[in-house]
Amino acid sequence: MTRYLSLYGLFLKQRLKALLEYRANFIIGAASTVFLQGSSILAVWVVMQQVPTLNGWNLDQVLLIYGLITLAKSINHMFADNLWTLGRYYIRSGGFDRFLVRPIDPLFHLLADRFCQDGVGNFLVGLVLVVKSSVSLQIAWTPLKALLLVVSVLSGGIIFIALNLLTCTAAFWIVDSVPVTRMVFDNHLFAQYPLSIYPKAIGILLTWVLPYALASYYPASYLLDRASGNLAWLGPIVAALLLFLGYRFFQFGLRHYSGTGT
Amino acid sequence: MIRRLLREPGKYLAISTMVPKVFMAYQLWFWIGLILSTIAMAILYFFWRAVYGGTADIAGLSLGTTLTYILLAQVFRPLTDIDLIFEFGFNLREGGIVHQLLRPLNFQLMYYAQNLGNLGTQLLLQIPMALVATFVFGLRWPTDPAVWAAFLVSALLGYTSYFFFVYIVASLTFYTTEVWGLGVLFNGMAIFLSGSLVPIAMMPGWLQTLVLSIPFAQALAVPINILTGITPLAQVPSVWLTQLVWVAGLWLASNLVFRLALRRVTVQGG
Repeated sequence: MTRYLSLYGLFLKQRLKALLEYRANFIIGAASTVFLQGSSILAVWVVMQQVPTLNGWNLDQVLLIYGLITLAKSINHMFADNLWTLGRYYIRSGGFDRFLVRPIDPLFHLLADRFCQDGVGNFLVGLVLVVKSSVSLQIAWTPLKALLLVVSVLSGGIIFIALNLLTCTAAFWIVDSVPVTRMVFDNHLFAQYPLSIYPKAIGILLTWVLPYALASYYPASYLLDRASGNLAWLGPIVAALLLFLGYRFFQFGLRHYSGTGT
Repeated sequence: MIRRLLREPGKYLAISTMVPKVFMAYQLWFWIGLILSTIAMAILYFFWRAVYGGTADIAGLSLGTTLTYILLAQVFRPLTDIDLIFEFGFNLREGGIVHQLLRPLNFQLMYYAQNLGNLGTQLLLQIPMALVATFVFGLRWPTDPAVWAAFLVSALLGYTSYFFFVYIVASLTFYTTEVWGLGVLFNGMAIFLSGSLVPIAMMPGWLQTLVLSIPFAQALAVPINILTGITPLAQVPSVWLTQLVWVAGLWLASNLVFRLALRRVTVQGG
């Protein structure tokens, strides 16, 4: 474990060196995600100047939900973005075979190979939204609430990573797994808004099947002392379970991997 | 020996199965694109229903009108899809732009024709989304032929002015080598500024002024307003006239910027 941590440090150092060579790209990359989020946030802001609440949630409460999921997403974006490119850039080109002959876990190698700077933009957007909204909402912080905030952002990040891991493993059979990953990943967009605005079926999907809401709606409910907030404590358990399943499935896919002939 | 014989076809079989895999990937993208657009549409649909939970009227628009506007804006989204920034950047890096400039064709007109063809294709590919909007989300299509005619003219004018606008921004890639960030930034801004998420009438005054004084909205919000009936037919001629001014102004500006940029161009490859 410590060996992997220090290895990750080495990978990160190399990556940052490369990124700092192209400083402008680093900044533009991080800023681009800010602008992408900006469109949706601006839309919410404009609409909520006209109506006081969205299904009983005011602007700051909606922004808290939005900020929490953006923070969780940024963890996946910064540290596990390479899962998206497994098929396209590693398996198709044969570059993945390089990992297989190294004396470290191929999955670890894949993730450590590229820290994604664009995720920093998402992290900052999420952080600003959560801080801004929780100050405006005057959340009564208790140790338990502070703990839940940290736990749910981390476990939310792991839920994102685990679901991407489960779907990107398809690359071992169909090479380009991006469509499959995208199909699951995009469902997180539902969880940017209060789950209560959707029909029950979507609520169940986002809680029990693709549990992105455990990173947004439920922790926000807990912080605001709303009913159903207690479900947020399921986050770490679900995250651990999904990560275990994802890792096992990745290992299974790895055993069926035969290369592309490139 | 026998083991080797058995292994040989296995290798070639793996190569053969790559072909259907690549083909399937294209098919898969089509269907998954449909699912992704449906997710985006569903979020907007339920979001707007919740917005109208306690009120019947926002900035003069009813829930029905707003939903029609939002769903139509999603169906006609290709009106704001012009990938000129990435295309210029790519051609500049690969050097293909040299051959294009040497052709006995008008460089700008060539790209316009190409994008118009692309628009037609993209709109045809939106037919499944139009069906989803109609049968899943209950989109009611306008039936007045005069409205459709007014919309088509406005859409063409808006698309043309937007093309010249993107052309100006794409010409800026001649100065900077950073194409990807510029493209992502531009597309991110276009989502909101084209009016695809919120009808312009709901924006605060200063934002309306801003949105209407830059060309994004001409391509989507302005024609969709006509199609939805938010802009009455009596006002259409003045809308067309405004759009014509946009087209003329941006056409002039785009040629000016392009000529200036061309002096600075450094082709990186080829």
